[in-house]
Formats: sequence, structure tokens, C-alpha cells
Amino acid sequence: MATPLEGRTILVTGAGRGIGSEVAKLAGSLGANVIVNDPGVNVDGTGHDDGPAATIAKEITDAGGNAAANFDTVATEAGGENMIKQAVDAYGRIDGVIHVAGILRDRMIFNMTEEEWDDVIAVHLTGYFNVAKPASVLMRQQRHGRIVGFSSGSGLRGNTGQGNYAAAKAGIAGATRCLARDLGRYGVTANAIAPGAATRMTATVPDASRELRAQAGIEGAVRRTSAVSELREPKYVAPMTVYLMTDQAWDVNGKVFNVSGGQVSVSHEVESYREIHKPDRWTIDELRDLVPSVLLAGLRNPAPPPDDLDIPGRATA
Amino acid sequence: MGVLDGKVAVVTGSGRGIGRGIAMLYAAEGAKVIVNDPGVAVDGSGHDEGPAAQVANEIKAAGGEASPNFDSVAEFSGGENMVKQAVDTYGRIDILVNVAGILRDRMVFNMSHQEWDDVIAVHLKGHFNTIKPASVLMRQQRFGRIINFSSSSGLIGNTGQVNYGAAKAGIAGLTRGIARDLGRYGITVNAISPGAATRMTATVPDAARDLRAQAGVSGAASAAPVQESKFARRDPDDVAPMAGYLASDDAWNINGQVFYVNGGRVGLTNHPVPQDGVFKPGLWTMAELDDAVHNVMLKNKNNPAPPRDDMEIAGRDVAAKPLA
Repeated sequence: MATPLEGRTILVTGAGRGIGSEVAKLAGSLGANVIVNDPGVNVDGTGHDDGPAATIAKEITDAGGNAAANFDTVATEAGGENMIKQAVDAYGRIDGVIHVAGILRDRMIFNMTEEEWDDVIAVHLTGYFNVAKPASVLMRQQRHGRIVGFSSGSGLRGNTGQGNYAAAKAGIAGATRCLARDLGRYGVTANAIAPGAATRMTATVPDASRELRAQAGIEGAVRRTSAVSELREPKYVAPMTVYLMTDQAWDVNGKVFNVSGGQVSVSHEVESYREIHKPDRWTIDELRDLVPSVLLAGLRNPAPPPDDLDIPGRATA
Repeated sequence: MGVLDGKVAVVTGSGRGIGRGIAMLYAAEGAKVIVNDPGVAVDGSGHDEGPAAQVANEIKAAGGEASPNFDSVAEFSGGENMVKQAVDTYGRIDILVNVAGILRDRMVFNMSHQEWDDVIAVHLKGHFNTIKPASVLMRQQRFGRIINFSSSSGLIGNTGQVNYGAAKAGIAGLTRGIARDLGRYGITVNAISPGAATRMTATVPDAARDLRAQAGVSGAASAAPVQESKFARRDPDDVAPMAGYLASDDAWNINGQVFYVNGGRVGLTNHPVPQDGVFKPGLWTMAELDDAVHNVMLKNKNNPAPPRDDMEIAGRDVAAKPLA
């Protein structure tokens, strides 16, 4: 097999299981030196197990590749620095950072605890900064680097019971767009992947609750079905993620890609796509007329109140 | 008679700028307003009860009802206190507007963890800290309006603001997520991405914007999706009417959206939906993806901060070469 990543050193966080492990293995098979990071926690972030990262590192080396396991948490500044330091100590440099690590603490916002919020933001969003910051210092110096964050349709389009996760995952997309602008001039790219795959994370949402939400008219609850829905294995997310590490992707920067099964697409960049203009300050009365009819024409409430709920304004609309 | 008669609102960061304009308009439309502002500097340092007290006094002098609050949204107890003050003073909370924010701009390779943490704490966690306690009461009363503040720095991207961009994009994601948690209970959650000249935007020197634009870095000078015009007046008070409309009963069915407001320009932002997709009923190879990325997905998109032409970039001259 061709080894387009020969001589490159890539850190993959959360690489002990699921999507991360597939990314790490593919990168290793294409010649990269891989730091396989995973503290081996449960989906909710509890516990610790060196086994998953060690196993994947061994799989890569058994297949003739180069890999070293790392068991730090990405949720701390020291953890992120250790991972980058291990890459430099073991292989002399860091070329790529792929932040897949994540946990779930799903709860409706009105029941969510401060700890559930903090823990999810710490691993996903601050975890991204914890690895991207020390990596960016070295990547800027060497005028080469690749950063990939993992976003989610939950943040880009919305989902119930995941206010913390949606904030973190949309935040990762926003951070990526900024990283791309800070670092592009130095030969460093930053992109994000919003994956679709069946892993132990998605298994935590019971099908019954998805169906209940769908019956209540709440958007985003039901997994989209299509001809490709059977291609849910996490290995399908790996090629696009690893492609972003290659030299050929030098000019791919600041984008959010959606990858699920054999389906790959780029996310529409956010823009103000319907507008009203006035060379003066609008009044509330004017907006009442124009916002629904012009800006929101054809769009619906993603979670409308039931018909029998007394809603001020509904009768007069 | 105003469109917010009898309603009780909490407006964070309403001692100055955009927040102040919203608090003043809400009061003029009949709402009782908790004017929150700890009176910090743009970087979050210091404390001054003057700004919130002054806005509350201005509202009262104009015949409205207002009560100042000086808590920090960065603390969970601060958010709880604001909501509690609304209930203790006026008996309920109907509207929550999250405007409070700080800036700690720095290029990512120089940014300290403190600078990251502080900005995430005020903007993103600050939204959670007020929304959580407010949503409990709004759900019980089957009515509520939550209006959050996002930014083109996160939605589009900007240099030197990875902390702020992460927080502001995160707020858009939070808005879309919890709109789905709360819509069933007669509550709407929307966000505004504002354009206005305030003391926050004044921290970015025009010279820096010009330099970035010359270097081909997008976002700095083109944060607004269309060119500045006579409609984009940049007056912070211009943001208030849209926040007023979204809080009104008439807006009962507008939920989970992110609006752009700058002067007389009011827009709806699209959700970042997938586009320009390719499909293969199997695993893609690197060479196939190289072709699909460059010829389909990025056909009409460019690098927002391209490396200089004279910089040696691995891969730049071999883009057409198959990888495997």
C-alpha cells in the first residue's frame, strides 16, 4: 500500500474505540506515526482503562506500523500538553492532531446539572483547545500542520436532550473556522468532521425515545434513513478524516465535512440568506409583519407546542 | 400599551451597548426589567455597579419598572440570583436575554488557557447559567422567551478569536439544541448575531483589520455576509427592535433560529446543512477523496487564509498526482 503519510506524526484523541480507533488504524496503515490517545473512560466519562489505547497501538504495530499509546485525558491543559510532548519525544515532531475524544451526559436543559454541562464542555470543546494550542505552536514553527476537530449534526442542526453536547459540537465548528484563519498563513489547516456512525455513543439513545420525539413533532430526533443507512460502521468515517492529513489537502481549510457511510459532503457555510433592509431603525410593528412572511416563509418550529396548549399570540397570528 | 406589557425580563450585560438598548426598549414596551451588569471592563476585569444602576434609573425616570443586578453570569449562582431576583421582585420570569460578554483576543498559538477559560465561562457557560434556572420556571408556566447572542466570529470565523468564536458558535448550537427541548412547552429559543459599533468592537484596531485583509485572510474585514451599506448603521440600539419582536407574543412560533441584525439589515442565517455531497457504496480511497474534495465539495469555496505563494507547501505542486 502507498504510504502518503510516511514520516508524519499524528495524534488521535479518543482512539481506543469507535471512530477514533478506525482513524488511528488507517493513518498507521498509510505510514504515519500515531499517538493513540484514550484514557478508556465510559461513555459518561467515568472510569479509566489503559486497555483500549494499548490494544489499538498494538494492532497498528503488529501490522507493521508505528504507534504509541497515551492514556491522558484531553479535558486538562496538562493532558493535552503531554500528548503533544509524547509525539515529539517519540517521533520528533507533530504534524496532525485529530480530536475525536468525547463523552455524553444527555439531559433535557431544565434538568441538566452544572456538572453535566461542565464535563461535556471540558472534554469536547476545551479538550480541542487543550491539544490544538500546544500543537499550533510547533506547527506554526515548522510551517506545516493539520488539525481536525469532530463536530456533530447535534450542534450544527440541533437535537433534544443535548444542550451541552450541541453547544460543544457547534463550538468545535466555530473554533475550527477561527483556527483556520489564525493558522492558514503558516501552512497549517484546520477542518472539522461531523460524523454519522453507530458507536457506543449513539447506542445510548434508545430507539423508543427517538420515536416518541418524532411522534411529538420534534425535529432531529430520528436518524435519517436512506439507501446508505446500513453503512453505519465507524470505519467509513476514517478515509475523509485521514485524507485531511495528506499533503494533497494543503488548501482545504476552515471547512466542516459531513461523513457517514459512503456519504461525504461539505457543510453550507453560514450566511444571512434572507434579508430585509431599511435605512433606519426597524419598529417592532414592522418586524411583526415582515419577519414571518419574508425571513421565515416556509420554515417551521422544530418543536411546536401541542395544539391544545394555550399559547398567547397563537390565536391572533 | 406596549407589546411586552406585564412581562418580566432579565437582560444580562445590559449596563452598556446592545444590552442597554434592549433593556430600554423592553421597558418602554411595558416589561419589568432586571438590568444585569457587573460593570466589568471588556476583558472581564474590575467591577462597577454604576452601569446597571444607571440604566435601571433611566428606565424608572422614564416611567418604567426596572431593578439592577450586579452578579456575574460566569457563576452558576449568579445566573440563579438573576432569575430569583426577577421572581422575588416581579413574581415571574418571561423573557431571558443573554447579551453579557467579554473579549480576550489572541492568536491561538499565543493564547493562554486562562484566556480561553474566561471567555468560554462568560459567553457559553454564562448562557447555561441563566438558561437552566429560567427554563425550569418557563416550562412550569408553559411560556417563555430566550434570546441568545451569537456572532459572525463563530458562525463565519475570524482571526485572533478562537475562544470567542468557539463560544459564539457554541451558543448557536445550544440555541438549536434547547429550542427542541423547550418548544413543546410554549417556550422559544432564538439567537441574534449582531453587528454594531460598541466598546467590544472598538478593541480591534482598523489597522489590524486592514493588514489581515491585505494578507488575504478572510473574516476580518468581511465578517458581514454582504458588504457594509447604508442599511448597516452599526448603532447598538438598532439591535433592540428584533429582540423586542422575538420576545413578543406574536413571535410564539419562531424557534431555533439565528438572526443577523446590523442597523436596518435584519437577516435569517441558514443552518449549516450538508451540500455538494458525493456517495460511494463502500470505503473511499485517498485518491478518490482528493478528486471529490477539490472538484465537487470545494469547487466554489476557497481557503480563508491561504499560505503565501513563496512559501514551500508540501502538496501544493502535486495536487493532481494520485495518492494510492
